[in-house]
Amino acid sequence: MRISSGEILINGRSIASDFENAVRQIGAIVENPEMYKFLTGYENLKQAARLAKGVTKERMDEIIDLVGLTPRIHDKVKNYSLGMRQRLGIALCLLHDPKILILDEPTNGLDPAGIREIRNYLRSLAREKNLAVIVSSHLLSEVELMCDRVAIMQKGRLIDVQKVHGEGDAERQTYRFTVNDADRAANVLKSKGIEAAADGQKLEAALAKQQVPDVIKWLVEENLLIYEVKPLRKTLEDRFLEITAAKEAAVNG
Amino acid sequence: MGNLIVNEFVKIFKRKSTYAMFLFLILIVVGGGFLTKYLNSLDEPVSQDNWKEELAKETEQMKKDLEEMPASMRAAFEDEIAINEYRIAHDLPPSDYNMWSFIGDSGTYITIVGLFVIIVAAGIVANEFSWGTIKSLIIKPYKRWKILLAKYVMVLLFMLIVLALLFISAVAVGAVLFGPGDGGSQIHLSYADGKVVEQSQLLYLAKSYLLNSVGVLLLATMAFMISTIFRSSGTAIGISVFLLLAGDTITSFFAMKFDWAKYILFANTNLMAYLEGKPMVEGMTMGFSITMLTIYFIVFQVLAFLFFTKRDVSN
Repeated sequence: MRISSGEILINGRSIASDFENAVRQIGAIVENPEMYKFLTGYENLKQAARLAKGVTKERMDEIIDLVGLTPRIHDKVKNYSLGMRQRLGIALCLLHDPKILILDEPTNGLDPAGIREIRNYLRSLAREKNLAVIVSSHLLSEVELMCDRVAIMQKGRLIDVQKVHGEGDAERQTYRFTVNDADRAANVLKSKGIEAAADGQKLEAALAKQQVPDVIKWLVEENLLIYEVKPLRKTLEDRFLEITAAKEAAVNG
Repeated sequence: MGNLIVNEFVKIFKRKSTYAMFLFLILIVVGGGFLTKYLNSLDEPVSQDNWKEELAKETEQMKKDLEEMPASMRAAFEDEIAINEYRIAHDLPPSDYNMWSFIGDSGTYITIVGLFVIIVAAGIVANEFSWGTIKSLIIKPYKRWKILLAKYVMVLLFMLIVLALLFISAVAVGAVLFGPGDGGSQIHLSYADGKVVEQSQLLYLAKSYLLNSVGVLLLATMAFMISTIFRSSGTAIGISVFLLLAGDTITSFFAMKFDWAKYILFANTNLMAYLEGKPMVEGMTMGFSITMLTIYFIVFQVLAFLFFTKRDVSN
Protein backbone atom coordinates (compact mmCIF):
# COMPACT_ATOMS: atom_id res chain seq x y z
CA MET A 1 0.00 0.00 0.00
CA ARG A 2 1.30 3.42 -0.93
CA ILE A 3 0.53 6.78 0.63
CA SER A 4 -1.88 8.27 -1.90
CA SER A 5 -1.97 11.72 -0.37
CA GLY A 6 -1.17 13.49 2.87
CA GLU A 7 1.53 12.77 5.37
CA ILE A 8 2.02 10.76 8.55
CA LEU A 9 4.03 12.42 11.29
CA ILE A 10 5.12 10.53 14.40
CA ASN A 11 6.38 12.92 17.04
CA GLY A 12 7.18 15.34 14.24
CA ARG A 13 9.06 12.81 12.09
CA SER A 14 7.68 12.05 8.66
CA ILE A 15 7.18 8.41 7.88
CA ALA A 16 8.00 9.07 4.23
CA SER A 17 11.14 11.18 4.48
CA ASP A 18 12.53 10.05 7.85
CA PHE A 19 11.32 6.45 8.02
CA GLU A 20 13.85 5.07 10.48
CA ASN A 21 13.42 7.79 13.10
CA ALA A 22 9.65 7.81 12.72
CA VAL A 23 9.24 4.05 13.01
CA ARG A 24 11.65 3.90 15.96
CA GLN A 25 8.87 5.41 18.10
CA ILE A 26 6.31 2.77 17.22
CA GLY A 27 5.78 -0.56 18.85
CA ALA A 28 3.37 -2.88 17.11
CA ILE A 29 1.91 -6.33 16.95
CA VAL A 30 0.50 -7.10 13.54
CA GLU A 31 -2.19 -9.78 13.69
CA ASN A 32 -0.82 -12.56 15.88
CA PRO A 33 2.49 -12.01 17.57
CA GLU A 34 4.84 -14.08 15.42
CA MET A 35 8.27 -14.99 16.66
CA TYR A 36 11.06 -17.37 15.88
CA LYS A 37 9.79 -20.59 17.42
CA PHE A 38 13.19 -22.30 17.32
CA LEU A 39 14.64 -19.55 19.53
CA THR A 40 13.94 -19.06 23.22
CA GLY A 41 11.86 -16.15 24.45
CA TYR A 42 15.04 -14.46 25.57
CA GLU A 43 16.72 -14.90 22.19
CA ASN A 44 13.66 -13.44 20.50
CA LEU A 45 13.94 -10.41 22.76
CA LYS A 46 17.65 -10.19 21.93
CA GLN A 47 16.77 -10.06 18.24
CA ALA A 48 14.53 -7.06 18.86
CA ALA A 49 17.02 -5.46 21.26
CA ARG A 50 19.80 -5.54 18.66
CA LEU A 51 17.65 -3.56 16.25
CA ALA A 52 16.70 -0.89 18.78
CA LYS A 53 18.86 1.76 20.36
CA GLY A 54 19.97 1.64 23.96
CA VAL A 55 18.17 -1.45 25.24
CA THR A 56 20.18 -2.64 28.23
CA LYS A 57 20.15 -6.01 29.92
CA GLU A 58 18.38 -4.43 32.90
CA ARG A 59 15.68 -3.12 30.59
CA MET A 60 15.21 -6.61 29.19
CA ASP A 61 14.92 -8.16 32.65
CA GLU A 62 12.50 -5.43 33.67
CA ILE A 63 10.20 -6.02 30.72
CA ILE A 64 10.35 -9.81 31.13
CA ASP A 65 9.32 -9.38 34.74
CA LEU A 66 6.57 -6.96 33.76
CA VAL A 67 4.87 -9.45 31.46
CA GLY A 68 5.45 -12.22 33.99
CA LEU A 69 7.60 -14.48 31.81
CA THR A 70 10.66 -14.64 34.07
CA PRO A 71 10.38 -18.36 34.91
CA ARG A 72 9.94 -19.47 31.28
CA ILE A 73 11.98 -16.92 29.32
CA HIS A 74 14.78 -19.38 28.47
CA ASP A 75 12.36 -21.96 27.05
CA LYS A 76 11.92 -22.30 23.30
CA VAL A 77 8.95 -20.32 22.02
CA LYS A 78 7.51 -23.41 20.33
CA ASN A 79 6.71 -24.70 23.83
CA TYR A 80 4.82 -21.53 24.81
CA SER A 81 1.05 -21.35 25.17
CA LEU A 82 -0.83 -18.78 23.11
CA GLY A 83 -1.18 -16.54 26.15
CA MET A 84 2.56 -16.68 26.81
CA ARG A 85 3.27 -15.82 23.20
CA GLN A 86 0.85 -12.92 23.45
CA ARG A 87 2.72 -11.66 26.50
CA LEU A 88 6.10 -12.12 24.84
CA GLY A 89 4.72 -10.21 21.86
CA ILE A 90 3.84 -7.32 24.13
CA ALA A 91 7.30 -7.44 25.70
CA LEU A 92 8.82 -7.38 22.20
CA CYS A 93 6.96 -4.28 21.13
CA LEU A 94 7.45 -2.39 24.40
CA LEU A 95 11.14 -3.17 24.72
CA HIS A 96 12.38 0.00 23.05
CA ASP A 97 10.04 2.34 24.94
CA PRO A 98 7.88 3.43 22.02
CA LYS A 99 5.66 6.51 22.06
CA ILE A 100 2.88 4.81 20.15
CA LEU A 101 1.72 1.25 20.49
CA ILE A 102 -0.29 -0.27 17.66
CA LEU A 103 -2.05 -3.54 18.42
CA ASP A 104 -4.18 -5.65 16.16
CA GLU A 105 -6.70 -7.76 18.12
CA PRO A 106 -4.58 -7.76 21.29
CA THR A 107 -6.86 -10.06 23.27
CA ASN A 108 -7.24 -12.68 20.58
CA GLY A 109 -6.93 -16.18 21.97
CA LEU A 110 -6.58 -15.12 25.58
CA ASP A 111 -8.61 -16.52 28.46
CA PRO A 112 -10.86 -14.12 30.42
CA ALA A 113 -8.22 -13.55 33.10
CA GLY A 114 -5.61 -12.85 30.45
CA ILE A 115 -7.92 -10.42 28.66
CA ARG A 116 -8.53 -8.47 31.85
CA GLU A 117 -4.80 -8.47 32.63
CA ILE A 118 -3.85 -7.13 29.19
CA ARG A 119 -6.63 -4.53 29.31
CA ASN A 120 -5.55 -3.23 32.71
CA TYR A 121 -1.94 -3.24 31.65
CA LEU A 122 -2.61 -1.27 28.48
CA ARG A 123 -4.68 1.28 30.37
CA SER A 124 -1.96 1.72 32.96
CA LEU A 125 0.64 2.18 30.22
CA ALA A 126 -1.44 4.90 28.66
CA ARG A 127 -1.93 6.56 32.04
CA GLU A 128 1.57 6.25 33.50
CA LYS A 129 3.90 6.32 30.52
CA ASN A 130 1.77 8.68 28.47
CA LEU A 131 1.76 6.17 25.69
CA ALA A 132 -0.77 6.36 22.91
CA VAL A 133 -2.26 2.93 22.30
CA ILE A 134 -4.06 2.26 19.04
CA VAL A 135 -6.08 -0.95 19.01
CA SER A 136 -7.90 -2.46 16.10
CA SER A 137 -10.62 -4.91 16.93
CA HIS A 138 -14.01 -6.16 15.93
CA LEU A 139 -14.88 -7.14 19.49
CA LEU A 140 -16.84 -4.00 20.29
CA SER A 141 -17.57 -4.94 23.89
CA GLU A 142 -13.84 -5.27 24.41
CA VAL A 143 -13.14 -1.95 22.72
CA GLU A 144 -15.75 -0.31 24.92
CA LEU A 145 -13.90 -1.48 28.03
CA MET A 146 -10.42 -0.73 26.78
CA CYS A 147 -10.57 2.49 24.79
CA ASP A 148 -11.27 6.17 25.25
CA ARG A 149 -12.00 7.02 21.66
CA VAL A 150 -13.17 4.97 18.70
CA ALA A 151 -12.64 5.51 15.02
CA ILE A 152 -14.99 3.61 12.75
CA MET A 153 -13.78 2.44 9.37
CA GLN A 154 -16.05 1.23 6.63
CA LYS A 155 -14.89 0.02 3.23
CA GLY A 156 -11.42 1.40 3.87
CA ARG A 157 -12.62 4.88 4.80
CA LEU A 158 -12.63 6.56 8.17
CA ILE A 159 -16.26 7.50 8.70
CA ASP A 160 -16.42 8.66 12.30
CA VAL A 161 -14.36 9.34 15.43
CA GLN A 162 -16.20 9.38 18.78
CA LYS A 163 -15.54 9.26 22.47
CA VAL A 164 -16.52 5.90 23.91
CA HIS A 165 -18.03 7.34 27.10
CA GLY A 166 -20.71 10.10 27.07
CA GLU A 167 -19.86 13.51 25.75
CA GLY A 168 -20.65 15.33 29.04
CA ASP A 169 -23.39 16.11 31.58
CA ALA A 170 -25.56 18.27 29.39
CA GLU A 171 -26.41 15.48 27.06
CA ARG A 172 -29.84 13.94 27.48
CA GLN A 173 -30.12 10.25 28.07
CA THR A 174 -33.04 7.90 28.46
CA TYR A 175 -33.53 6.70 32.05
CA ARG A 176 -35.67 3.75 33.03
CA PHE A 177 -37.56 3.86 36.33
CA THR A 178 -39.00 0.70 37.82
CA VAL A 179 -41.89 1.73 40.08
CA ASN A 180 -44.99 0.13 41.56
CA ASP A 181 -47.39 2.23 39.39
CA ALA A 182 -45.92 3.46 36.14
CA ASP A 183 -49.08 5.18 34.86
CA ARG A 184 -49.41 7.35 37.93
CA ALA A 185 -45.70 8.17 37.79
CA ALA A 186 -46.06 9.22 34.14
CA ASN A 187 -48.81 11.61 35.13
CA VAL A 188 -46.61 13.10 37.87
CA LEU A 189 -43.86 13.77 35.31
CA LYS A 190 -46.31 15.18 32.77
CA SER A 191 -47.57 17.63 35.39
CA LYS A 192 -43.97 18.86 35.73
CA GLY A 193 -43.68 19.20 31.96
CA ILE A 194 -41.60 16.08 31.24
CA GLU A 195 -42.57 13.59 28.55
CA ALA A 196 -42.62 10.03 29.83
CA ALA A 197 -43.75 6.65 28.48
CA ALA A 198 -45.27 4.09 30.85
CA ASP A 199 -45.33 0.36 30.31
CA GLY A 200 -46.52 -1.82 33.22
CA GLN A 201 -44.03 -1.19 36.01
CA LYS A 202 -41.55 0.54 33.73
CA LEU A 203 -41.30 4.22 32.97
CA GLU A 204 -38.93 5.72 30.44
CA ALA A 205 -38.05 9.39 30.15
CA ALA A 206 -35.35 11.43 28.42
CA LEU A 207 -33.61 13.49 31.10
CA ALA A 208 -30.55 15.53 31.70
CA LYS A 209 -28.39 14.13 34.51
CA GLN A 210 -29.24 17.04 36.88
CA GLN A 211 -32.96 16.34 36.55
CA VAL A 212 -32.71 12.81 37.89
CA PRO A 213 -32.66 13.67 41.67
CA ASP A 214 -35.65 16.01 41.16
CA VAL A 215 -37.66 13.35 39.41
CA ILE A 216 -36.91 10.85 42.18
CA LYS A 217 -37.93 13.41 44.83
CA TRP A 218 -41.24 14.10 43.05
CA LEU A 219 -42.06 10.45 42.78
CA VAL A 220 -41.25 9.84 46.48
CA GLU A 221 -43.38 12.80 47.49
CA GLU A 222 -46.27 11.18 45.61
CA ASN A 223 -45.70 8.01 47.66
CA LEU A 224 -44.59 5.95 44.64
CA LEU A 225 -42.24 3.05 45.38
CA ILE A 226 -39.03 3.17 43.35
CA TYR A 227 -37.22 -0.11 42.89
CA GLU A 228 -34.59 0.87 40.35
CA VAL A 229 -33.38 3.81 38.25
CA LYS A 230 -30.93 3.29 35.48
CA PRO A 231 -29.66 5.11 32.44
CA LEU A 232 -30.29 3.25 29.19
CA ARG A 233 -26.92 3.64 27.56
CA LYS A 234 -26.52 2.71 23.95
CA THR A 235 -23.79 0.12 23.58
CA LEU A 236 -20.92 0.77 21.22
CA GLU A 237 -22.40 -1.94 19.07
CA ASP A 238 -25.69 -0.03 18.74
CA ARG A 239 -23.83 3.13 17.86
CA PHE A 240 -21.60 1.33 15.39
CA LEU A 241 -24.54 -0.21 13.58
CA GLU A 242 -26.38 3.11 13.58
CA ILE A 243 -23.43 4.97 12.10
CA THR A 244 -22.51 2.40 9.48
CA ALA A 245 -26.15 1.95 8.45
CA ALA A 246 -26.57 5.71 8.11
CA LYS A 247 -23.48 5.96 5.91
CA GLU A 248 -24.60 3.02 3.87
CA ALA A 249 -27.97 4.70 3.30
CA ALA A 250 -26.26 7.96 2.41
CA VAL A 251 -24.09 6.19 -0.15
CA ASN A 252 -26.92 4.18 -1.66
CA GLY A 253 -29.58 6.90 -1.51
CA MET B 1 23.38 -2.80 9.66
CA GLY B 2 25.90 -4.91 11.56
CA ASN B 3 23.24 -5.92 14.04
CA LEU B 4 20.90 -6.97 11.24
CA ILE B 5 23.60 -9.36 10.05
CA VAL B 6 24.18 -10.65 13.60
CA ASN B 7 20.45 -11.39 13.82
CA GLU B 8 20.52 -13.32 10.56
CA PHE B 9 23.56 -15.21 11.78
CA VAL B 10 21.81 -16.21 15.00
CA LYS B 11 18.71 -17.31 13.10
CA ILE B 12 20.77 -19.66 10.94
CA PHE B 13 23.11 -21.01 13.56
CA LYS B 14 20.41 -21.67 16.17
CA ARG B 15 18.71 -24.14 13.90
CA LYS B 16 19.45 -27.83 13.99
CA SER B 17 19.11 -28.19 10.21
CA THR B 18 22.24 -26.09 9.76
CA TYR B 19 24.29 -28.50 11.82
CA ALA B 20 22.73 -31.44 10.00
CA MET B 21 24.13 -29.93 6.79
CA PHE B 22 27.58 -29.52 8.32
CA LEU B 23 27.56 -33.05 9.64
CA PHE B 24 26.44 -34.42 6.28
CA LEU B 25 29.24 -32.59 4.48
CA ILE B 26 31.87 -33.88 6.89
CA LEU B 27 30.55 -37.43 6.56
CA ILE B 28 30.69 -37.19 2.76
CA VAL B 29 34.33 -36.09 2.88
CA VAL B 30 35.26 -38.81 5.38
CA GLY B 31 33.38 -41.42 3.35
CA GLY B 32 35.02 -40.20 0.16
CA GLY B 33 38.41 -40.50 1.83
CA PHE B 34 37.83 -44.12 2.85
CA LEU B 35 36.45 -45.05 -0.57
CA THR B 36 39.50 -43.54 -2.25
CA LYS B 37 41.90 -45.26 0.10
CA TYR B 38 40.43 -48.75 0.23
CA LEU B 39 38.32 -49.28 -2.88
CA ASN B 40 39.96 -47.33 -5.68
CA SER B 41 43.08 -48.90 -7.10
CA LEU B 42 45.41 -45.98 -6.80
CA ASP B 43 48.19 -45.49 -9.32
CA GLU B 44 51.26 -47.63 -8.81
CA PRO B 45 53.59 -46.04 -6.31
CA VAL B 46 56.22 -44.02 -8.07
CA SER B 47 59.67 -45.50 -7.73
CA GLN B 48 62.14 -42.98 -6.47
CA ASP B 49 65.18 -44.18 -8.45
CA ASN B 50 64.24 -44.49 -12.08
CA TRP B 51 61.15 -42.26 -12.32
CA LYS B 52 62.73 -40.23 -15.09
CA GLU B 53 63.07 -43.18 -17.46
CA GLU B 54 59.58 -44.41 -16.73
CA LEU B 55 58.05 -41.01 -17.19
CA ALA B 56 59.98 -40.47 -20.43
CA LYS B 57 58.75 -43.83 -21.77
CA GLU B 58 55.18 -42.99 -20.82
CA THR B 59 55.44 -39.60 -22.47
CA GLU B 60 56.80 -41.10 -25.71
CA GLN B 61 53.83 -43.45 -25.84
CA MET B 62 51.43 -40.54 -25.28
CA LYS B 63 53.03 -38.62 -28.15
CA LYS B 64 52.43 -41.56 -30.47
CA ASP B 65 48.79 -41.89 -29.32
CA LEU B 66 48.29 -38.18 -29.84
CA GLU B 67 48.55 -38.45 -33.63
CA GLU B 68 45.67 -40.91 -33.87
CA MET B 69 43.44 -38.96 -31.55
CA PRO B 70 40.37 -36.87 -32.44
CA ALA B 71 41.08 -33.16 -32.07
CA SER B 72 38.68 -32.69 -29.16
CA MET B 73 40.71 -34.98 -26.89
CA ARG B 74 44.12 -33.68 -27.79
CA ALA B 75 44.26 -30.71 -25.45
CA ALA B 76 44.28 -32.76 -22.26
CA PHE B 77 47.03 -35.01 -23.60
CA GLU B 78 49.16 -32.09 -24.75
CA ASP B 79 48.91 -30.66 -21.22
CA GLU B 80 50.11 -33.84 -19.64
CA ILE B 81 52.96 -34.27 -22.09
CA ALA B 82 54.17 -30.73 -21.48
CA ILE B 83 53.98 -31.18 -17.71
CA ASN B 84 55.82 -34.51 -17.86
CA GLU B 85 58.62 -32.99 -19.93
CA TYR B 86 58.83 -30.10 -17.48
CA ARG B 87 59.18 -32.55 -14.59
CA ILE B 88 62.03 -34.37 -16.31
CA ALA B 89 63.79 -31.14 -17.24
CA HIS B 90 63.46 -29.59 -13.77
CA ASP B 91 63.95 -32.76 -11.73
CA LEU B 92 60.48 -32.68 -10.11
CA PRO B 93 59.34 -36.27 -9.49
CA PRO B 94 55.57 -36.90 -9.66
CA SER B 95 54.07 -37.62 -6.25
CA ASP B 96 51.95 -40.50 -5.03
CA TYR B 97 48.34 -39.84 -4.16
CA ASN B 98 48.56 -37.63 -1.06
CA MET B 99 46.70 -35.07 0.98
CA TRP B 100 46.91 -32.48 -1.80
CA SER B 101 45.50 -34.84 -4.38
CA PHE B 102 42.62 -35.59 -2.02
CA ILE B 103 41.88 -31.91 -1.39
CA GLY B 104 41.85 -31.39 -5.14
CA ASP B 105 39.46 -34.32 -5.66
CA SER B 106 37.21 -33.09 -2.85
CA GLY B 107 36.59 -30.01 -4.98
CA THR B 108 33.80 -32.01 -6.62
CA TYR B 109 31.85 -31.73 -3.35
CA ILE B 110 31.43 -28.01 -4.06
CA THR B 111 28.19 -29.15 -5.70
CA ILE B 112 27.01 -30.26 -2.24
CA VAL B 113 28.13 -26.95 -0.78
CA GLY B 114 26.06 -25.37 -3.56
CA LEU B 115 23.05 -27.42 -2.55
CA PHE B 116 23.26 -26.21 1.07
CA VAL B 117 23.93 -22.60 0.16
CA ILE B 118 20.94 -22.65 -2.20
CA ILE B 119 18.72 -24.05 0.55
CA VAL B 120 19.80 -21.27 2.91
CA ALA B 121 19.56 -18.56 0.24
CA ALA B 122 16.08 -19.73 -0.76
CA GLY B 123 14.91 -19.83 2.84
CA ILE B 124 16.38 -16.67 4.29
CA VAL B 125 13.61 -14.44 2.91
CA ALA B 126 10.86 -16.99 2.26
CA ASN B 127 10.99 -18.42 5.78
CA GLU B 128 10.24 -15.03 7.28
CA PHE B 129 7.06 -15.04 5.22
CA SER B 130 6.08 -18.58 6.15
CA TRP B 131 6.83 -17.97 9.85
CA GLY B 132 4.88 -14.71 9.73
CA THR B 133 7.85 -12.90 11.25
CA ILE B 134 8.31 -10.70 8.18
CA LYS B 135 5.67 -8.39 9.63
CA SER B 136 7.65 -7.66 12.75
CA LEU B 137 10.85 -7.41 10.74
CA ILE B 138 9.71 -4.66 8.39
CA ILE B 139 8.32 -2.48 11.18
CA LYS B 140 11.79 -2.30 12.67
CA PRO B 141 13.52 1.04 12.20
CA TYR B 142 15.52 -0.13 9.18
CA LYS B 143 14.79 0.56 5.56
CA ARG B 144 13.79 -2.51 3.64
CA TRP B 145 16.81 -2.52 1.38
CA LYS B 146 19.04 -2.73 4.46
CA ILE B 147 17.08 -5.71 5.76
CA LEU B 148 17.44 -7.51 2.43
CA LEU B 149 21.11 -6.59 2.06
CA ALA B 150 21.86 -8.02 5.52
CA LYS B 151 20.22 -11.25 4.42
CA TYR B 152 22.27 -11.40 1.23
CA VAL B 153 25.49 -10.71 3.11
CA MET B 154 24.56 -13.61 5.39
CA VAL B 155 24.17 -15.88 2.36
CA LEU B 156 27.70 -14.94 1.25
CA LEU B 157 29.04 -15.52 4.76
CA PHE B 158 27.31 -18.87 4.93
CA MET B 159 28.83 -19.88 1.60
CA LEU B 160 32.32 -18.98 2.80
CA ILE B 161 31.77 -20.86 6.05
CA VAL B 162 30.61 -24.05 4.30
CA LEU B 163 33.44 -23.81 1.76
CA ALA B 164 35.94 -23.40 4.58
CA LEU B 165 34.39 -26.38 6.34
CA LEU B 166 34.76 -28.49 3.18
CA PHE B 167 38.36 -27.38 2.71
CA ILE B 168 39.31 -28.01 6.33
CA SER B 169 37.61 -31.43 6.39
CA ALA B 170 39.43 -32.34 3.19
CA VAL B 171 42.75 -31.23 4.68
CA ALA B 172 42.12 -33.19 7.88
CA VAL B 173 40.87 -36.37 6.21
CA GLY B 174 43.58 -36.11 3.55
CA ALA B 175 46.36 -35.66 6.11
CA VAL B 176 45.15 -38.59 8.23
CA LEU B 177 44.48 -41.06 5.40
CA PHE B 178 47.06 -40.14 2.78
CA GLY B 179 49.80 -38.23 4.58
CA PRO B 180 51.12 -34.81 3.67
CA GLY B 181 53.17 -36.07 0.70
CA ASP B 182 56.79 -35.29 -0.11
CA GLY B 183 58.32 -31.93 -0.95
CA GLY B 184 57.46 -32.16 -4.65
CA SER B 185 53.77 -32.43 -3.86
CA GLN B 186 53.76 -28.89 -2.47
CA ILE B 187 54.18 -27.56 -6.00
CA HIS B 188 51.38 -27.46 -8.50
CA LEU B 189 52.15 -27.53 -12.20
CA SER B 190 49.68 -26.28 -14.77
CA TYR B 191 49.92 -25.77 -18.50
CA ALA B 192 48.41 -22.71 -20.17
CA ASP B 193 49.23 -20.75 -23.30
CA GLY B 194 52.11 -23.02 -24.22
CA LYS B 195 53.89 -22.62 -20.87
CA VAL B 196 54.15 -24.73 -17.75
CA VAL B 197 53.60 -22.69 -14.58
CA GLU B 198 54.77 -23.63 -11.09
CA GLN B 199 52.76 -22.43 -8.08
CA SER B 200 52.15 -23.28 -4.45
CA GLN B 201 49.76 -26.20 -4.13
CA LEU B 202 47.87 -24.57 -1.24
CA LEU B 203 47.38 -21.34 -3.17
CA TYR B 204 46.32 -23.23 -6.28
CA LEU B 205 43.74 -25.28 -4.35
CA ALA B 206 42.33 -22.26 -2.49
CA LYS B 207 42.01 -20.47 -5.83
CA SER B 208 40.36 -23.42 -7.49
CA TYR B 209 37.84 -23.81 -4.63
CA LEU B 210 36.90 -20.15 -4.86
CA LEU B 211 36.71 -20.06 -8.66
CA ASN B 212 34.68 -23.25 -8.74
CA SER B 213 32.26 -21.61 -6.32
CA VAL B 214 31.41 -18.81 -8.74
CA GLY B 215 28.63 -20.91 -10.23
CA VAL B 216 27.32 -21.68 -6.75
CA LEU B 217 27.37 -17.98 -5.89
CA LEU B 218 25.34 -17.08 -8.97
CA LEU B 219 22.84 -19.88 -8.38
CA ALA B 220 22.48 -18.89 -4.73
CA THR B 221 21.85 -15.33 -5.84
CA MET B 222 19.23 -16.61 -8.25
CA ALA B 223 17.59 -18.69 -5.51
CA PHE B 224 17.62 -15.61 -3.29
CA MET B 225 15.89 -13.61 -6.02
CA ILE B 226 13.27 -16.25 -6.83
CA SER B 227 12.37 -16.75 -3.18
CA THR B 228 12.11 -13.01 -2.65
CA ILE B 229 9.75 -12.70 -5.59
CA PHE B 230 7.61 -15.78 -4.95
CA ARG B 231 7.97 -15.81 -1.14
CA SER B 232 8.31 -19.56 -1.16
CA SER B 233 11.51 -21.46 -0.82
CA GLY B 234 10.23 -24.54 -2.66
CA THR B 235 10.17 -22.99 -6.12
CA ALA B 236 13.53 -21.36 -5.58
CA ILE B 237 15.19 -24.54 -4.34
CA GLY B 238 13.66 -26.63 -7.13
CA ILE B 239 14.77 -24.42 -10.00
CA SER B 240 18.19 -23.64 -8.59
CA VAL B 241 19.13 -27.17 -7.61
CA PHE B 242 17.99 -28.46 -11.00
CA LEU B 243 20.27 -25.93 -12.69
CA LEU B 244 23.08 -26.68 -10.26
CA LEU B 245 23.02 -30.32 -11.27
CA ALA B 246 22.04 -30.08 -14.92
CA GLY B 247 23.08 -26.57 -15.94
CA ASP B 248 26.47 -27.54 -17.32
CA THR B 249 25.12 -30.47 -19.32
CA ILE B 250 22.30 -28.44 -20.85
CA THR B 251 24.66 -25.63 -21.72
CA SER B 252 27.24 -27.84 -23.39
CA PHE B 253 24.42 -29.42 -25.40
CA PHE B 254 23.42 -25.97 -26.70
CA ALA B 255 27.06 -25.00 -27.12
CA MET B 256 27.51 -27.75 -29.71
CA LYS B 257 24.78 -26.32 -31.93
CA PHE B 258 24.45 -22.63 -31.28
CA ASP B 259 26.87 -19.79 -30.92
CA TRP B 260 24.60 -17.88 -28.53
CA ALA B 261 25.14 -20.55 -25.90
CA LYS B 262 28.05 -18.47 -24.71
CA TYR B 263 25.54 -16.02 -23.22
CA ILE B 264 24.04 -18.72 -20.99
CA LEU B 265 25.02 -18.34 -17.35
CA PHE B 266 26.63 -21.77 -17.09
CA ALA B 267 28.89 -21.30 -20.08
CA ASN B 268 30.57 -18.61 -18.01
CA THR B 269 30.68 -19.99 -14.49
CA ASN B 270 33.69 -22.24 -15.03
CA LEU B 271 36.39 -19.62 -14.66
CA MET B 272 38.95 -22.32 -13.86
CA ALA B 273 38.78 -23.29 -17.54
CA TYR B 274 40.49 -20.06 -18.54
CA LEU B 275 43.34 -20.65 -16.14
CA GLU B 276 43.77 -24.03 -17.80
CA GLY B 277 43.10 -22.68 -21.29
CA LYS B 278 39.90 -24.63 -22.13
CA PRO B 279 36.77 -22.45 -22.50
CA MET B 280 33.45 -24.12 -23.24
CA VAL B 281 32.79 -22.24 -26.47
CA GLU B 282 35.71 -21.45 -28.76
CA GLY B 283 36.80 -17.82 -28.66
CA MET B 284 35.45 -16.96 -25.20
CA THR B 285 37.72 -15.00 -22.88
CA MET B 286 37.92 -14.52 -19.14
CA GLY B 287 36.90 -10.88 -19.58
CA PHE B 288 33.79 -11.87 -21.52
CA SER B 289 32.74 -14.37 -18.85
CA ILE B 290 33.28 -11.95 -16.00
CA THR B 291 31.18 -9.37 -17.86
CA MET B 292 28.38 -11.89 -18.41
CA LEU B 293 28.49 -13.02 -14.77
CA THR B 294 28.33 -9.41 -13.60
CA ILE B 295 25.31 -8.77 -15.80
CA TYR B 296 23.50 -11.84 -14.45
CA PHE B 297 24.40 -10.87 -10.90
CA ILE B 298 23.09 -7.32 -11.31
CA VAL B 299 19.85 -8.50 -12.93
CA PHE B 300 19.22 -10.96 -10.07
CA GLN B 301 19.93 -8.35 -7.42
CA VAL B 302 17.89 -5.57 -9.03
CA LEU B 303 14.87 -7.87 -9.30
CA ALA B 304 15.20 -9.08 -5.72
CA PHE B 305 15.56 -5.58 -4.29
CA LEU B 306 12.80 -4.10 -6.45
CA PHE B 307 10.31 -6.74 -5.39
CA PHE B 308 11.26 -6.63 -1.73
CA THR B 309 11.18 -2.87 -1.32
CA LYS B 310 8.20 -2.04 -3.51
CA ARG B 311 5.70 -4.70 -2.66
CA ASP B 312 3.08 -5.02 0.06
CA VAL B 313 3.85 -7.64 2.63
CA SER B 314 0.27 -8.51 3.64
CA ASN B 315 -0.92 -11.94 2.62
